Amino acid sequence: MLVFTRRRNQAIRIGDVEVRVLRVGRDGVRLGIVAPPDVAVHREEIYDEIRAANRSAAGQSLNPEDLATRLRRQ
Amino acid sequence: MTLAAPVLPAPAGRNLDAVSFPDGIPGFEACRRFVVLASDALAPLQRIDSIDGPAASFFCINPSSVLPGYSCRLSTADLQRLDATEQTPLVWLALVTVEATGTVSVNLRAPIVINPERMIGRQVVPNDGTYPIRHLLLRAE
Repeated sequence: MLVFTRRRNQAIRIGDVEVRVLRVGRDGVRLGIVAPPDVAVHREEIYDEIRAANRSAAGQSLNPEDLATRLRRQ
Repeated sequence: MTLAAPVLPAPAGRNLDAVSFPDGIPGFEACRRFVVLASDALAPLQRIDSIDGPAASFFCINPSSVLPGYSCRLSTADLQRLDATEQTPLVWLALVTVEATGTVSVNLRAPIVINPERMIGRQVVPNDGTYPIRHLLLRAE
């Protein structure tokens, strides 16, 4: 793993992506990302959340026709 | 459950109504092919079943029918992975979950997108997405 020390307003470039330190606080670092539109930029947790949501969506013991009826009534 | 018919017809020269998911979907990376099923009794829901790898079955709904005006911009990388262009009509499906509380939610943040011309699908996470992973669909009865 590459490790850099950066101060406020300093940046790192990864290919076409710029990662800039905007603020350093006691509990966190605020980063600004400039990336081309074809690069996906997300908090890492979003992938864990989607994986967890997919797992809970799969193989549920629900009655789909009852659910469909309730949705059609809406 | 009523017998459900495939939603997406097999393209000419193919004998399966399978949609290929080259990356699987998060949590089910080994599932590379799914079929999308619908029936009158199931409407407005549809079902997505894996036909490869571990058994996985999901219920889903068109996100535009949940939230009129629903719209996400796909990245050029996502379009390339779907072998699609900006002009390709795509099928959007949001996964439905019955929570432990009985509340029914729908994942509008990371929809399944299918290119029906190429029968390729992918779960996308649009960069500009502000839609919730658990959007309330029905309250617990």
